Amino acid sequence: MLTSRLQRDEPADVVIVGAGASGTVAADALAAAGFRVACLEQGGWTETADYLSAEPEAELSWLGKWNPDHNARRNRADYPTTGEADVRPVMCNAVGGGLVQWAGMWHPLLPSDFQVRTLDGVGDDWPISWEELGPFYQRATRDMSVSGLTGDPAFPELDYPNPPVPIGKVGMAAARGMDRMGWHWWPGSNAISSQAHRNLQACQRRGACIIGCPENAKANGLLTHWPRALENGARLVAGARVKQIPLDGRGRALGAVYEDQEGTERLQPGEVVIMAANGIGTPRLLLLSASSLFPDGLANSSGLVGRRLMQHPYQTVTVVLEEHLESWRGPWGQNIYSLEFAETRPEHDFVRGSKWNVCPRGGPMFAVFDHLAARRGGGFDQVWGEAFHRASDVFFGRSFSWGIQAEDLPEEHNRVTLDPEAADDSGLAAARIDYRLSDNTRRMLDFNIARALETAEALGAVETVVDDVWPTGIGHNLGTTRMGDDPSSSVVDRWCRAHDVPNLYITDGGVFVTAGSVNPTATIMANTLRVVEHMMENRRGQETS
Amino acid sequence: MSGAAATAAQRRTLDRLADVLIAAGAGKPSASEAGVSGELLDRTLAVVPAWKEPLLVILDEATGCDPRRFVRELDADRPEDFAVLSTAVTGAYFLNPQVREMIGYPGQEASPLSLAAVPEYVENGMLERVYERHPGFRR
Repeated sequence: MLTSRLQRDEPADVVIVGAGASGTVAADALAAAGFRVACLEQGGWTETADYLSAEPEAELSWLGKWNPDHNARRNRADYPTTGEADVRPVMCNAVGGGLVQWAGMWHPLLPSDFQVRTLDGVGDDWPISWEELGPFYQRATRDMSVSGLTGDPAFPELDYPNPPVPIGKVGMAAARGMDRMGWHWWPGSNAISSQAHRNLQACQRRGACIIGCPENAKANGLLTHWPRALENGARLVAGARVKQIPLDGRGRALGAVYEDQEGTERLQPGEVVIMAANGIGTPRLLLLSASSLFPDGLANSSGLVGRRLMQHPYQTVTVVLEEHLESWRGPWGQNIYSLEFAETRPEHDFVRGSKWNVCPRGGPMFAVFDHLAARRGGGFDQVWGEAFHRASDVFFGRSFSWGIQAEDLPEEHNRVTLDPEAADDSGLAAARIDYRLSDNTRRMLDFNIARALETAEALGAVETVVDDVWPTGIGHNLGTTRMGDDPSSSVVDRWCRAHDVPNLYITDGGVFVTAGSVNPTATIMANTLRVVEHMMENRRGQETS
Repeated sequence: MSGAAATAAQRRTLDRLADVLIAAGAGKPSASEAGVSGELLDRTLAVVPAWKEPLLVILDEATGCDPRRFVRELDADRPEDFAVLSTAVTGAYFLNPQVREMIGYPGQEASPLSLAAVPEYVENGMLERVYERHPGFRR
């Protein structure tokens, strides 16, 4: 691409591609230190007034504008994903990224997650340890106004700035089940503020976190980081669809070429480029940036760009009790979680493990979905007609769901490539996803589902519903540009700098070496802080374009 | 979305199909009695506009058909279209304030939380038992 013909924006010290969890942290930290920051985000701004969470239409909005599946939502900023996948990834393309629609579940990885090869003989070890990330976990936890209860013995101590939100009747019921089984559980840790803290207000338990918090109680970069970053001079270009990372003659990144909202191609020059477009968007852009120097895609001499996709395959067990649980009340969020089966055990026929979380069950439409699932294959009259009212009489308000979040291992055939036919509105190739569940993951899920059903039995459940593995993912798009010390088997080094391009960094979930079983946002944000601080401390030695 | 989301004829057809899906029973109204083909339909399609086109096609196809037979065949033969019809009807039904009251659903209402009380799981020792029995994290 001849960048000399493009309209040029004001040069920046650092160009960040993507304003989600990672790009948000990077922009905030760099701007606070006085760096000139330009962040390019293909999505737009979201106003609190856009959320329907306090309206009667709240549940319906999940199926419309706030549908978590970008292929169903089809907003202008969304690009299509195609392919053959047992789990199809989802994402939110907006300022704030996935944080706009996330549930706020907040966890550090476990110490063993960094040593998977050493401890269990599968996957790979991370080039960094829990101890190196620990201080950054603590800072990210504060910045995100996390509510939780310090002292969970399942991982090293983490202090939360806010007390946990009430676990509610739903959480108490689930905890009683775990207590009877003698298994681990702990009050939920959520980036949902239980009291007014920094820019967040106190949670009002509306239970509509995933379709947007109208109280501004759920942490989201729009509230937690961007106001300060903008005040410190960061420039955020919304509606900027990045098309390519161009190089100079020495193979250094020049910045980013993007299409603005009017369709004009522009160059945002920068001395350093940070890719923070999530584990699908970043490999897609690197592959789109193939050149004579990098014919297989930018920074792809290892051949691993796009490979080793991990998504935390997810399955639920809905437990219906006789008692009323007010199970539409929030937050949603996790009421409680369990790490009982998060580690490898010698008696299992699989390695690694799963995290469980209890969520509320939503309003009457979710009760209908449970009713339909419970009567699957039972015939029309078992579900519809007069039988329809069973949804509200049996399921509504009396259920909770255990979400089983499995650690899938990095496998090179699970990958992101460019679709040779499908494209977005700008003509850029869609991301093709090929992803198959491994036997290890299926055995792991089967085991955990069976255990969750045991807790239901211990509670005297009147009904249980086991979902299939969710065909759409939960937005955890990990591993596609892995971190490592060896350039032949990793894309970025321990400081998340591309082995092949000295002024190109990647800080999103793509750098995960393994997935762990817990939710990844805390690690993405803590690691970004770690990387950006190192970048700033070593600025003098930084090669630039 | 304006009242022109569907014609009067399409709304009459929707009432007939919707009552196959949600009949009166258990003390609750049928779909047509709840008014799913009126303003509630317009509100539903305003939130999920992607349903409008396929739904109207379904309603036009169903005009003059036996509703019980049509809906059952749709369920058996065209699951995606059936999902549009059944989810739109269900969504509209639960927008009805009387239905919501009957099932005890106040909506996603604000419920200010109190942090002053000691949680039950602390008072009854459940959390302490977790701490006591946990072997510690793996290193």
